[in-house]
Amino acid sequence: MIISTNWLDDYIAHGLSADELADRLTMCGLEVESVDRIGTDLEGVVIGHVLSAEQHPNADRLSVCKVDTGMNTPLDIVCGAPNVAAGQKVAVATVGTTLHLPSRDNPEQRVPVTMKKAKIRGEVSEGMICAEDELGLGDDHDGILVLDTDAAIGTAFSDYLSAKGIRTMDHAIDISITPNRPDAISHLGIARDVSALTGKEICRPAVALTEAGGSVTSKMSVTIEAEDLCRRFVGIMVEGVEIKESPTWMKQRLLAIGLRPRNVIVDITNYVMYECGQPLHAYDADTLNGHCIVVAKAKVGSTFTTLDSKERTLPEDALMIRDGEREIGIAGIMGGENTEVTDNTTNVFIEAAWFDPSSIRRTAKALALQTDASYRFERGVDAEGQAWAAKRAADLMVELAGGTLVDGMIDVHPVPYEAPVVPLRAQRVLDIMGADIAPSEMVRLLEAIGFGVTEKQADPLVWDVTVPSFRPDVGREIDLIEEVARLFGYDNIPEPTHSRIPNFTPGMAVDRQLRERLRDVLSGIGFRETYTNSMLPIETAERFNDPALPGGRFGGDVVETMNPITTEMAALRPSLLPGLLKVAGHNHNHGQQAIRLFEFGRVHTKRNTNRTLVGDYTETETLMLLTSGYWQGQYWEGEPREADLFDLKGVVDRVFRATGLEVPRYKEREASNLASWGVDILLGKRWIGSLIRISDAVAGDFTLRHDGLAAEIDFTALAEAAAGAIRPRYQAISRFPVVERDIAVIVPASQPAGPMIEAIERTGGDLLKQVTVFDLYEGDHVGKDHKSLAFGLRLGADRTLRDKEVDKVMTRILKTLEKEFDAKLRG
Amino acid sequence: MESSSHTGADAAVQALEDLKTDIEGAVLDTVDAIDEYRIRYLSRKQGRITALMKRIPDVAPEDRRAFGQAINSAKDTVERRLEEATAALTTAASATSAPADVTLPGREQPQGSLHPITQAARLITRVFENYGFDVAEGPEIEDDWHNFTALNFPPDHPARDMQDTFFIEDAEQEHGGILLRTHTSPVQIRVMEDIMKDGEPPIRVIVPGRVYRNEAISYKSYCLFHQVEGLYVDEGVTMADLKQILHAFARTLFGEDVRMRFRPSFFPFTEPSAEVDIWWKDENLPGGGRWMEILGCGMVDPNVLEGVGIDSEKYTGYAFGMGIERIAMLRYGIDDIRILYENDVRFLEQFS
Repeated sequence: MIISTNWLDDYIAHGLSADELADRLTMCGLEVESVDRIGTDLEGVVIGHVLSAEQHPNADRLSVCKVDTGMNTPLDIVCGAPNVAAGQKVAVATVGTTLHLPSRDNPEQRVPVTMKKAKIRGEVSEGMICAEDELGLGDDHDGILVLDTDAAIGTAFSDYLSAKGIRTMDHAIDISITPNRPDAISHLGIARDVSALTGKEICRPAVALTEAGGSVTSKMSVTIEAEDLCRRFVGIMVEGVEIKESPTWMKQRLLAIGLRPRNVIVDITNYVMYECGQPLHAYDADTLNGHCIVVAKAKVGSTFTTLDSKERTLPEDALMIRDGEREIGIAGIMGGENTEVTDNTTNVFIEAAWFDPSSIRRTAKALALQTDASYRFERGVDAEGQAWAAKRAADLMVELAGGTLVDGMIDVHPVPYEAPVVPLRAQRVLDIMGADIAPSEMVRLLEAIGFGVTEKQADPLVWDVTVPSFRPDVGREIDLIEEVARLFGYDNIPEPTHSRIPNFTPGMAVDRQLRERLRDVLSGIGFRETYTNSMLPIETAERFNDPALPGGRFGGDVVETMNPITTEMAALRPSLLPGLLKVAGHNHNHGQQAIRLFEFGRVHTKRNTNRTLVGDYTETETLMLLTSGYWQGQYWEGEPREADLFDLKGVVDRVFRATGLEVPRYKEREASNLASWGVDILLGKRWIGSLIRISDAVAGDFTLRHDGLAAEIDFTALAEAAAGAIRPRYQAISRFPVVERDIAVIVPASQPAGPMIEAIERTGGDLLKQVTVFDLYEGDHVGKDHKSLAFGLRLGADRTLRDKEVDKVMTRILKTLEKEFDAKLRG
Repeated sequence: MESSSHTGADAAVQALEDLKTDIEGAVLDTVDAIDEYRIRYLSRKQGRITALMKRIPDVAPEDRRAFGQAINSAKDTVERRLEEATAALTTAASATSAPADVTLPGREQPQGSLHPITQAARLITRVFENYGFDVAEGPEIEDDWHNFTALNFPPDHPARDMQDTFFIEDAEQEHGGILLRTHTSPVQIRVMEDIMKDGEPPIRVIVPGRVYRNEAISYKSYCLFHQVEGLYVDEGVTMADLKQILHAFARTLFGEDVRMRFRPSFFPFTEPSAEVDIWWKDENLPGGGRWMEILGCGMVDPNVLEGVGIDSEKYTGYAFGMGIERIAMLRYGIDDIRILYENDVRFLEQFS
C-alpha cells in the first residue's frame, strides 16, 4: 500500500523526513519497499501576465506571447496551447527551471526537463507557460492553466498554490503490509503507529456522528439475511450532488498513491477508504428498486455484471447485495454496473459494512478478482469503523459535490462488537523477549496503539488488556507480547555473550554422511555437480518414467501439478536423467567436449509403496552420473578417447567402495526406447540402479553431440545397504607374504568374464584374496570364435603358504573353469 | 643308447659354451632389451638356460655335477646382469637426464566441482552443526496439514497467499490437500511430532531442502529453491538467544564486522516474527550500500507447539529459515538465480 507523506501530515506532525519516516516504519514492522519523490517544489515557476498572444508566423498551432513576470522587460514565450489569450494570469516556468514532465513515450512516467532559451520555428522563447500536467497538478493537457485574475505578478507559483492548500511536492511511501496488520492499511492506521513511535498526538478529522434513524430510514431500508457474514451495515444518503471532477488537492493525493481520479463521488469513497481503512460503496440511489437493500447469499451459478462491465459467474456462497428486484453488488468486492454512480447521478446512497473475512476471501479467490475493498475486508476491517467512515464521506460529498445530507443513518447491526479482553503477564513478556523492559513501558506502548490496559493482579503483575476493534488479529497473550516487542524495537533486545547449548547429542544420518562423502569423491575424480529443475513437461516425464531407472521402477504414474506455471513445467521428474541430458546438450552446444556430471535429487512417482510418506506418492532420492564425450581429451601424447561403459562402471565401483560396500554385480538388461543397451547394478540380489547407453533418438532430442552414458542409482537403497558398512572396521593385516599366480584360459568369445570371476572367487575360498583380469585377447593365436582371458590371483593366509597348497587351489580353479565354462588352459 | 646320450651331453656342454659370449656381452640399455634377455634365457617355455637344465639327465652321470654347476653359474650371471641393468636404467631415467621438453603440459587430471548451492549449504549447516544442531530432512511432496495448518495458517487466511503454492491434489481430499512444500518448515512439525512420540524437548535441529513457489521466473526468483530451516525448543529460550545465534551465523558467513538488523515481520508459525537484514556495502549506491534481507525468524507460535503436544508454558522456542540461493548469490556475487540451474560448465568450473 502506498501512502502520501503530505496526506499523513494531516493527521500527525511527526517531524520526520520521508526517509527517516520510512526507516522508523520499517523497524516497527511496516516494511517500506520504496520511497519516491513526487513532483518538485516548482522553484522558478512564477506568475505571469499574458500581455499579448499573436499567431506564430511559421506555425499554425503556435502563438507568440509577451508575458510580464515582474521583470523590466516582458518575456517572449512561444506557446502551443489553444486557450492562451492576452490578459490571462498564468504559471511561467522561467529559463533554468526543472520540471518533471510526462514522458512522450509513456505519459505515466515523468522525466526531468530543464527550461532553456530557444528558438522555436524561428521565434525566440524564454520559458514555458504551463499546463496542469506539466506542473504535476493533474493529468490535464488540453490547455494552459489559467490562474485567478488577482494572482500577483512575479510571485512564486508555489505560494499561490499553498494559499489554496495545494502542495506540489510529495513522497509516496510504498509499504508492504503483512497479513496480520489490517489496522495499517490506511493513512490513519499508519499515523497510529507513527504516534506510538514518536509520542506525537494523532489529529483525526472532525466528524459529527449521526444517530441511527431519521429521514433516511423512510427513503431506504436495509435487511441482512446472512447475519453471520455481515455483522453490520451502515447507510447514509446525500441528495442533489453535482457529478464533477474532484478538487485538485484530492486528485493529487489519489494520484500520489496510485489511484486514478474518476469523479468527485467515487473519489471521495476511495479517499475515505485510504484515510481510515473502511471500504465504502456509493450507489446511485435512484437506481435502487423498491427502496431497499438486502444482504444475502447468491443463487448458485447465477451471473452478475460488475461495474467494470464484466459478466461474472458467481461462486457458491458468494455474499451479494440486492435491491428489491435484483443483485446490485458483490459484497465487499465490487459493485454492479446497474447501480453505479454516473454523470447523471444526483442522489447517492453510501454503504459502509463489515463482511466476514473468510467469505470475502473465498469469493474473491473464486472470481480471481482482488480489489482495494476485498483486500481490506479479507484481512478484517475495524468492527466499529462504519458509522464514522460513512459520515465522513457524506460530509465530504456535501462540501465538495454540493449535496444535501439526508438526516439520520441506517445502522443494521445484528452482531454487536464485543472487545476481547486478554490477560498479559509482565514476566511472560520478559521470558519471550529476553530483554529487560519496565512494566510501565509495556503499558505505555500498548496504550499508544489503542489498547486498554488495567491491572488485574499485582504480584505477579498481570494486566487485563482490552483489544481495540481495529485489531482483529490480536486475541492471545503472545499477540500482545509481539506488539510490545515491535514497538520496543527488536534492535534494543540485547544479545547474550554466550550461547546456550543443551546437553543433547546431534546425530549424523547415514544418507547425509554418505551423500556428502560421495560429493567429495565424485568431484575429486572429475565430475561436476549440477542442480536441475524438478519440473518438466508431462510428455518428457512420461518418457523417462522408465522401468530401467529407479523412479520408473516403482511402476507408478507421473506426478502432475494442478496449477503449473507453464506446460513446460507441469510434471515432477521421475528421474534426474532428463535434467542432466539437457545440461549435457547445452554444454555440448557451447563447445564442451568432455561432459562428466552428477546430481543428487529427489524423484517422484504416484504410487503407494513402503517409502510413501504423504498421500499415495513415493519420493526417493537418486544419484545420477552422466558422461558424454571425451573421457580423455586431446593431448600431445595421443588421440582423445570417448567415454565407454568401462569408464562409467569404474566410477560406479568407486561410488560403492566409498560407501564401504563391495563393488556391485552388473547384469545385462534389455534395450528400451531410452537405452540402446544397459546393465542392472546389483548388490547381492538387491537392485540398486542401472547403467545405460542413451538411445540415439533420445540423445538426438537433447542435442547430444557424443554418445551418452548414464547411471542412476537408487540412493535411498544404497544408503540403507551401506548403513552397516559406512564405518570401517579394522582387520589385522597379514604379516605373511602373498603369492601371485596367473592363469590364462581360452573360452568361447561369447562367454562373459563376470561369472568366471565369481566362479574363481567361489572356488578360491579363503586363500584367494583378489582376482583381476589383466589380459583379454582375441585373434589368430586362440582360434576363431574364441578369446583368451588372463586372470591375476593373489593368495594369502595368516601363515606362509606352501607351493603345494597354492598349486592345489590353482588346479581346482582350473578344473572349475574347464567344467563350467568349457575353458582350456592357454599353453 | 650310450652314443646318443654322449652326443647329447656334448651338445649340451657345447651349447652352454656358445651362450657365454651373449650372456656376458649382450647390450641391456632399454626396457625391451632387458625383457627380451630375460625371456631368452629364463622363460619357462623358451628360456635357453631353462632348456639346458632340462637336458641334465642326458649328461653322463660323472659329468653332471660339473655341467650343473656351469649352468647355475651361467644362470647367476644372467640374473646379476638383469638386476644391474634394471637398476642402471631406473637411475638414468630418474636422475641423470631430464625429459626432452619439460615445458610440455602435464597430463591433465579431469576437473570436478561442487555446485555453489552445495557449497553454500555446507557452510550454513556447518555453522549450526558447530552450535549443536542436528540435521533433519523431509519430503518435498507434502500435505496441507504439515505445510500450512499445523504451522498455524488458518484456512481461508490471506497468510496463505504469502507463498504461492503448487497443488497436486485438491484441499477437498481426505488428507486436506497435497502440494509441493513451499518452505522447509513442515519438517519442523515432522521432527517435533517424531520426538514427542516418546520424548520431550530439547529439540535442536536444522533442515536443509528443496522448496517450490509458483512464481514467475525472473533473475531474482525461480520456481524452486533451497532453504535451511532451524528450530530450537527448550526451557527458557528467548528472542535474545535467537539474535545471538543468528548474529554468530552472519559473522561466520559475512565477516566479523557484519552489520545486521532485526525488523518485525509476520509469519503465521512464529510470534513475535522478524526479518533479518545485513548491510551490503556498495559504493555505487547512495549511502554506501543497502540493507539486504537474508532470513526470516521468530519465536515459535504457542499454537504450533501445542499442536504437536508440547507444553507452550513450559517450553519456548525459536525458528528461522533462509534461502540458500540468496546466501550463495550474495557470497559469490551471482546476480541471476537462473544461472544456478543452467549448469553451464563455464559457470560450474568457477567453483572447482
